[in-house]
Amino acid sequence: MHKIPHSYVDYFIIFSLPFLFAVLKARIQQLQSDVIVDVQHEKVQFVKASKSGIGASSGNSPKNVFGERTEVPKAGQTISKGGGQTGKGEGKDASASKSRWMEKLSQEKKTKTKKLKQKLGLEDKPVKSSKGKLMLPGTSHKTISTKAGIKTASTVKKSKTLKNQEHTMAASKHEHTMAAAPVAAANVPIRKAKGKGKASKEPAPELSEARNRAEEMERKAEAKAQELAEVEELERKLNQWAVSARPELVQDNSEARVYGDVQRSVRCYLEACVFCGDIDRAHRFLLGHHRMVSRRNLLNIGLYNIMMRVWAKKGSLNQIGRMFILIEEAGLKPNLGSYCAALECMGRNPDFNMCQVLRQMEEDGLPVDELFSHCVFRQDERDMVLRAIHTVQPDFQSSINTILQTCSSPLVKDFYTERADAKYPKMAFSLEELQERFSRQLSIEQASTITIHSVEAMKPCCLFQRDLLAVQRLVWHKALVGALREGKIILASSTQKAVRLSLYPYLCLLDEKDYVDIMIQSLSNLPPSGESLHILAKELGNRVHNMFCIRMKGHNQMVDKLSHIYNEYAELLAKDSKFDVLPRERWWKLEAEHSSGPSLLGDETHWPHMVVVELGTYLVDLMVKHMKVNSDILNSAYDRKLIPVLYHMYTFRSNKQVGFIKPHPILTQMQQDAMDTTLTFDSYVMPMLCPPVPWTSAKFGAYLLTPTKMMRAVEGANQHEILLEKCQDADLHAVLDSLNQLGNAAWRINQPLLDIIISIFNDKGSEKLDVPPPNSEAPKIPRYNQQDSATFTSAEKAHLKREVVNAKKKCSEMHSLRMDALYKLSIANHMRDEVFWFPHNMDFRGRTYPCPPYFNHLGSDVTRAVLVFAEGKPLGPGGLEWLKIHLVNLTGLKKRSSLAGRLEYANSIMDDILDSADNPLIGKKWWQNADEPWQTLACCMEIANAVRSPDPTHFISHFPVHQDGSCNGLQHYAALGRDVIGATSVNLIPCEVPQDVYSGVAQQVEEFRVRDAEKGLKIAQVLEGFISRKVVKQTVMTVVYGVTRYGGRLQIEKRLKEIDDFPKEYVWDASHYLVHQVFSSLKEMFTGTREIQDWLTESARLISKSGSTVEWVTPLGLPIIQPYHRSRTQMVRVNYLSLQITHDSKERPDTVKQKNAFPPNFIHSLDSTHMMLTALYCYSAGLTFVSVHDCFWTHAITVDTMNKVCREQFVALHSQPILQELSNFLLKKYLDSTALPMNLSLSLSHVCKECTNIHLLGSLLLWTLSHPVYAMYLLSLQTLFRPLDFFHVLRYVSLILK
Amino acid sequence: EVGKMKGECFRPLGRYDFLDLGEVEENTQRAQLCRTIKRFIIDPALAKLVTHHLGPDLEESKAVIFECNPGPGVLTRTLLNSGAQRVVTLEGEKSFLPDLQALECLLDGQLEVVHCDFFKLDPMGRGSMRPPAMYTDKLFTDLGISEANWTDEVPVKVVGILPQRIERSQLWKLLYVLFDRLSIYRYGRVELNMFISEKEYLKLMAKPGDMLNYRAFGALWQMACHIELLHKEPWASFVTSSKYKLAIPKSRLPNDNLCLVRMTPRKDLFSASLTPSNAATLVMMVKQCLAKRKARLVDRLNMWSPDSGPKLLKEMGMQEDVLTGHVYPEEYKQLFELVDKSQEFTQSWLYEEVLENTQKEGWI
Repeated sequence: MHKIPHSYVDYFIIFSLPFLFAVLKARIQQLQSDVIVDVQHEKVQFVKASKSGIGASSGNSPKNVFGERTEVPKAGQTISKGGGQTGKGEGKDASASKSRWMEKLSQEKKTKTKKLKQKLGLEDKPVKSSKGKLMLPGTSHKTISTKAGIKTASTVKKSKTLKNQEHTMAASKHEHTMAAAPVAAANVPIRKAKGKGKASKEPAPELSEARNRAEEMERKAEAKAQELAEVEELERKLNQWAVSARPELVQDNSEARVYGDVQRSVRCYLEACVFCGDIDRAHRFLLGHHRMVSRRNLLNIGLYNIMMRVWAKKGSLNQIGRMFILIEEAGLKPNLGSYCAALECMGRNPDFNMCQVLRQMEEDGLPVDELFSHCVFRQDERDMVLRAIHTVQPDFQSSINTILQTCSSPLVKDFYTERADAKYPKMAFSLEELQERFSRQLSIEQASTITIHSVEAMKPCCLFQRDLLAVQRLVWHKALVGALREGKIILASSTQKAVRLSLYPYLCLLDEKDYVDIMIQSLSNLPPSGESLHILAKELGNRVHNMFCIRMKGHNQMVDKLSHIYNEYAELLAKDSKFDVLPRERWWKLEAEHSSGPSLLGDETHWPHMVVVELGTYLVDLMVKHMKVNSDILNSAYDRKLIPVLYHMYTFRSNKQVGFIKPHPILTQMQQDAMDTTLTFDSYVMPMLCPPVPWTSAKFGAYLLTPTKMMRAVEGANQHEILLEKCQDADLHAVLDSLNQLGNAAWRINQPLLDIIISIFNDKGSEKLDVPPPNSEAPKIPRYNQQDSATFTSAEKAHLKREVVNAKKKCSEMHSLRMDALYKLSIANHMRDEVFWFPHNMDFRGRTYPCPPYFNHLGSDVTRAVLVFAEGKPLGPGGLEWLKIHLVNLTGLKKRSSLAGRLEYANSIMDDILDSADNPLIGKKWWQNADEPWQTLACCMEIANAVRSPDPTHFISHFPVHQDGSCNGLQHYAALGRDVIGATSVNLIPCEVPQDVYSGVAQQVEEFRVRDAEKGLKIAQVLEGFISRKVVKQTVMTVVYGVTRYGGRLQIEKRLKEIDDFPKEYVWDASHYLVHQVFSSLKEMFTGTREIQDWLTESARLISKSGSTVEWVTPLGLPIIQPYHRSRTQMVRVNYLSLQITHDSKERPDTVKQKNAFPPNFIHSLDSTHMMLTALYCYSAGLTFVSVHDCFWTHAITVDTMNKVCREQFVALHSQPILQELSNFLLKKYLDSTALPMNLSLSLSHVCKECTNIHLLGSLLLWTLSHPVYAMYLLSLQTLFRPLDFFHVLRYVSLILK
Repeated sequence: EVGKMKGECFRPLGRYDFLDLGEVEENTQRAQLCRTIKRFIIDPALAKLVTHHLGPDLEESKAVIFECNPGPGVLTRTLLNSGAQRVVTLEGEKSFLPDLQALECLLDGQLEVVHCDFFKLDPMGRGSMRPPAMYTDKLFTDLGISEANWTDEVPVKVVGILPQRIERSQLWKLLYVLFDRLSIYRYGRVELNMFISEKEYLKLMAKPGDMLNYRAFGALWQMACHIELLHKEPWASFVTSSKYKLAIPKSRLPNDNLCLVRMTPRKDLFSASLTPSNAATLVMMVKQCLAKRKARLVDRLNMWSPDSGPKLLKEMGMQEDVLTGHVYPEEYKQLFELVDKSQEFTQSWLYEEVLENTQKEGWI
């Protein structure tokens, strides 16, 4: 059994639970009796003891009192708050207050949530913390005067001096009112002064007070049973709170996420300020937050470290010392990053003695070595730190751990351990070539945009219009630069002292010119029908972010280092490579070898969605206000007036009003007339010119400079990132390696085909061949004016109106299709002589996608057809046959024929094939009727070339041959359910003739229909002769992915309407009848599927009902979390524009979506696992392999090998007890964490046990898979024994075999 | 049943024969059996009250009365009893039809029963057109009602209860067809007497200055129709067909009653400058203006045609800083007429705009 590889799970269960309980108990007791104030020291220690358990685990010295306290800043807050209330509750009748504690708690909860909901800088009233202010100058004065700043740091760190103790105490008491604190103190008559009287100043005196009250509670233990229930509820709540108090262990409860969000926005703000050199602003901002207790509690150590880093760069030890004091005050504990900054600073001032810092680090349990393995260095930071250390330990060497752990999944054990036979594919390039490609790619990314030629034919007449537009653009550019400058001045002055986040630093990251370029570029992509404000704003904001990230990398001086490492890395891939390791391993090793200089890993944070949208909206606002054009520019008959080119208006979508930005018709006209000859894209839109940087962690890989997320996520959702970060590196290796392999496939353009497509595109397009026609072919929008309207009857008017709406819709659809095709073809054309690569990432279920958005191999028939492998391989003995079979597959014919049958068919139509290849546009055009015409044509050409070559077996083919999974979802279900009949019908069990599940279902439905027709059912009789594969296909395919009867009926209705002869009046009844029959046939054929689906659905329902989000781990160790949450809207207001964004991930899970999506998502995750496994093992077999989800591509010669690997890996995957492990994981995660209320947990464990029954069906199927000879035999047995248990069958078989 | 009532089904009933409304208990039960969730008028007193408001001179009025989804037919009989000349019941539910048809054959043409749902007239979708969905022209042609001038007297009075789930979208749909003079409004100024929820009524009647509730919806209705509140009746007085009580939507506005509201299209709605063909632009303009009630009107106007805002406002005699939420419906109408006359707006994109289908229910 394979152990759940996620250390955080264990970690959570082992360490956090006792701690949570302790905190919780203390809290309950404290709340229960808030009159008697007493201190018992042992109690404090009890709490501490449980805490230090965690402290130790996270590398803290248990001795460090402050460390422990700061570990739980949140709990601390809760406690001191309770303390404050204690003071206030003074003198009240004990029993009365006893009954009030529940009320108080709910009150507290309310204020708490309210506080959390406060957006930074919006509703928050500054809490005057006079103490903090008084104290700060005092301390800093003292420390500054001690000349040696280092001393400051260490003194503070020692933290045992009375002075410091008092500081912290004061800090911890911030929430006591000034009056309440002394009163509370005065009312402590029986204080056991065990702890030097300072015991009262222990971090959490109230906890200990609580203990005594427990006795009181015992006295009233029999109180009310109902109260007990409340306590239970409370326990749960408190658990959640307590968890949220630990930032390094962010759980998926809502509060932790709120914290994460606040921290993220503060971090981004600080980073932006620092980047644009506005250190003052950053410092003020952080101090502003620090001084308000309510906000200070939201900060984490990383935020202080940002400022430390800045001071370190300035070599200002005084400031560093101050920062340490602030950290201390905030109740946080310096981490590696803080010490790193301190050392860096000292490295810049080599006169200082840093022994104490190092000693202090040691005391804090932070080994110096870890500095170099855990911290991210920018510019010369690493050298400075080293210099600092060398003054103390001249012979210090940062030892980098060069031992690579391997992935723990048994599925890839062989892959990583048995490498002797592995022949990793090499590329057909020399090292120099690769290096040259790299430098070209680098310069493209540094420019961050790229301008390429459009394939749209040039019209000679439009030169004048082109100039006109160019001049206008210059005018707009100037106006916008001016406006932006002005806007910045206003923003800068208006937010001088406020603590609130302002846009100002985000507007200073780039040159004004860059912002304006981004704005003007967005204008040319604006569709004539306009774009919603939200989308436009998001695009603009993201562009700024991208450009910022690229600049940041330049700023951090990591480009040189990247070039250096890449140039060495390229050796691995080059044709004469002597290495036989995986790309990731090689890169990792190189990085370790070149440890000096900045880190390659950027540590910049992705901006919160809110910031992106707000920034974008600001830019849109500038555009709307300041881009104008003369109204007579196109038609001098009009009066000259300066009119805006963009308008902000509203559209209404089912009662919702949506902000919309529309271009003025004049602008649209100008753009259409000018017919731009060039297109400008962001650099990441283009495929890469060199092999992508291998993914070495979830944060680093793909493009050279452009930031890329390894896992795509819904905007605003960062749970995936958090999960991935918590993952052990080794566990992700298999996933990273498969992404790398997919990205390393080199491509080039099939030029003859591209030319044909472009010629059609520039002619009139062709809807039949999926080449979108130009706008000139669009239907004219009918117009009618008042004069005409008199002559129309109202029916005609109504008709006309409908026409107008339809025409408009059609036009905008055509426009977007045309633009999409234009982009794709222009990119392909630009790449026509290049070899290029698609870096890959994945969605939240692990399905992989190429990163470039428009042009990639996942696209339509057209784009797939123009792509071929850059590498050519001889066809070999069977290659030509595979090409022919592939051709038949592309036509969509002969679905039920065996491979031999398909081959035979291909041979019988060789004339058509050759004719298509030779005269694609003027011949018989056989290819045009295929399912995938363009790929068919490409394949015809390849076959023609091959058969005409002297020896087809030696013909070098670049052509990718596809192997489709047959209804993958059902395959996985059949395998999970060990369901032999189902498995046969989706080709899991080899048969002579390929099975076609769709035909199978159609046949079954037909049987039902005949039976019903005989019974006299009208609709069954009507349907005679209409039930075909095509009618049921879509529904069968989507059933696995959770289509409902409702959706299924709509699908079938659509198919029936396409049949001309079918009587229209029966469509509704017939579709209703058919969907019912399809569902029952599937039930009949796939016995296990339904059960598994139901089990998954029910589990997900229980989990999400309890307020948790459904999570699981794929057999390859990839953590998955479903991003469906109830939506919460936030308003973004910028000047006059305002828009609502629905923000995800903070809210409670959306039960319906969580539950409905779990089965399909789970199956998708298995599917992706299977693909990744196949990719990995194909890699060690030296194959070129790419995938389009469940369709795998390779060279013709290697198809057989790939098929073998594919099958083997499927068996291997399903030999794992997948359902069992899922069930264990769910139980462990959701039951043990006590997140579930009792009744739900009972049902969940019940449900989970059910899944074992499914599994008891044994390994029958797998056995047949590995012994295909017996497959048919077994099949008949299963039918025979159907009512019996599968066990009987298995036993029977084993008897026979003996 | 009906036959039993009088025991003489061989003779058509005369218009002065009194129809028995049936037992309240029995009617309630029948209403509750209805498969779709609807409200019904079962209480004879309520039926009488509604009839009274449709009057007073039912016997003299030439307007045809369309009764939507009568169910057990309590109001139908009450209407007939008070001498209504011509009642057409539009019943969407098949199960109620036989009973109503039986009644129809007893009477001498005063009652016509059509299997049709008033709220599914002229659907937008391309689905199959089967009863109870229907095109208006078929309905009116079958009934022999012909198109009339806008200024003619009210040809048809519709009485019914707006289905709660689609209340808002139905009212929008009716509003669009009203301004375009399509659907039922092709046949003249059809008067609606509808029970709508109190909150919807309050929104309908919201006055300028009420920045929260004064929206395009209310402004346009007020512009198009003379609206009268006839009666308020607590929700509980109606019988609901659902097994579960139909939850009454919560609202910031009071919502304790169903309001019987009469909406009579204004005779002077259309003029030389406002015609059904450009009314869509008026609707568009008002919707754009009132999307934000605290925006300045002059900014909106300037957006459509730069610099023309102040001129227009001056012509209207309005303050330059007037907010869109402070402008009365009639003023919007005047404003539009000025806009339409002005040459400056001819280049504006305002006219290019076509309202796309805004509702799932569809209109046009």
